[in-house]
Amino acid sequence: MVLMLGLLGLELVRAQVSTVANGLLMHLSLLFVPVGVGVMTHMALVSKYGWQLFVALVLSTWIGLLVTAVVFRALLRAEEAPSS
Amino acid sequence: MQKKRLRRENSTVTDFVQLWVYLSTTPLFGLTATLVIYASAQTIYQRLDQAPLANPVLWTVVILACVLTISDTPYPTYFSGAQFIHFLLGPAVVALAWPMWERRSELRRRAVPLLLSALAGGVAAGASAVAIAWVLDLPADLIRSLAPKSVTAPVAMGIAEQLHGIPAMAAVFSVLTGLIGAISAPYLFNVMGGLSAQGRGFALGTASHGIGAARAMQVNVDAGAYAGLALGIQVVLSAILLPLAARFI
Repeated sequence: MVLMLGLLGLELVRAQVSTVANGLLMHLSLLFVPVGVGVMTHMALVSKYGWQLFVALVLSTWIGLLVTAVVFRALLRAEEAPSS
Repeated sequence: MQKKRLRRENSTVTDFVQLWVYLSTTPLFGLTATLVIYASAQTIYQRLDQAPLANPVLWTVVILACVLTISDTPYPTYFSGAQFIHFLLGPAVVALAWPMWERRSELRRRAVPLLLSALAGGVAAGASAVAIAWVLDLPADLIRSLAPKSVTAPVAMGIAEQLHGIPAMAAVFSVLTGLIGAISAPYLFNVMGGLSAQGRGFALGTASHGIGAARAMQVNVDAGAYAGLALGIQVVLSAILLPLAARFI
């Protein structure tokens, strides 16, 4: 990805990439399905530790969302304050 | 001369036979089922005004898992068909460079606040997951597989492998994290209030990667662009920092 970012500096590469990249990213969520179905192969682990895993996943996702949003808002406000 | 041509024709026939054998032993069932169910789930999702709970990835996975269980199809058989979709994840990760490139001026101008919020959010999500799992007494290899959960699934698998976790579980955690974010974030942001579309997108991309970003893209172009940016930053940060952090623990 980082390599790609560098290569995108070249006009020639950009023209080729944009359609494919946009097409792929538009259907990005479809690409997660095969891995997601893989849950069924780990049913033993999932049923044994199901609720603990669920609690850890939900809480940490909320914490991640909130912390990012709060820091983002605070930093951008601080950035805009001196200029306005 | 004629013998040569005959041999060439023969080889085309063998090629064809080999292709046929290949196709018939490679069940395209997995590929077809995934595409058909996803397309239906997507249509229903649009009909329901993109209600978060109707998330197409969630329902496609649930329905597919039920279909496979009922028809007694083992996962490897399914995957031999679905791998063609799975394979595209790699190029898709590379394609993430595109939204970053499109927003490069913004990325440069706001580099410090963006990097800092991505770092804060990523660390908060990973550390809290590990801490909660540790408090709840989960086994160590599961805890290690939880650490990279805010990164997109293929990268999470790679990182989990380096951390001596279970790559397959890391992928599952990553997908679930994406779903939880995509489903609950709209409500969470409404409770929080006063957050721009850019902030919403950026938080979604940081905490729940591609699935969150896909959700953000459907809601608002600006949110989607920032989500794409956040998810790219998160991939780079996690791939560098998590293995480093694990070395000290």
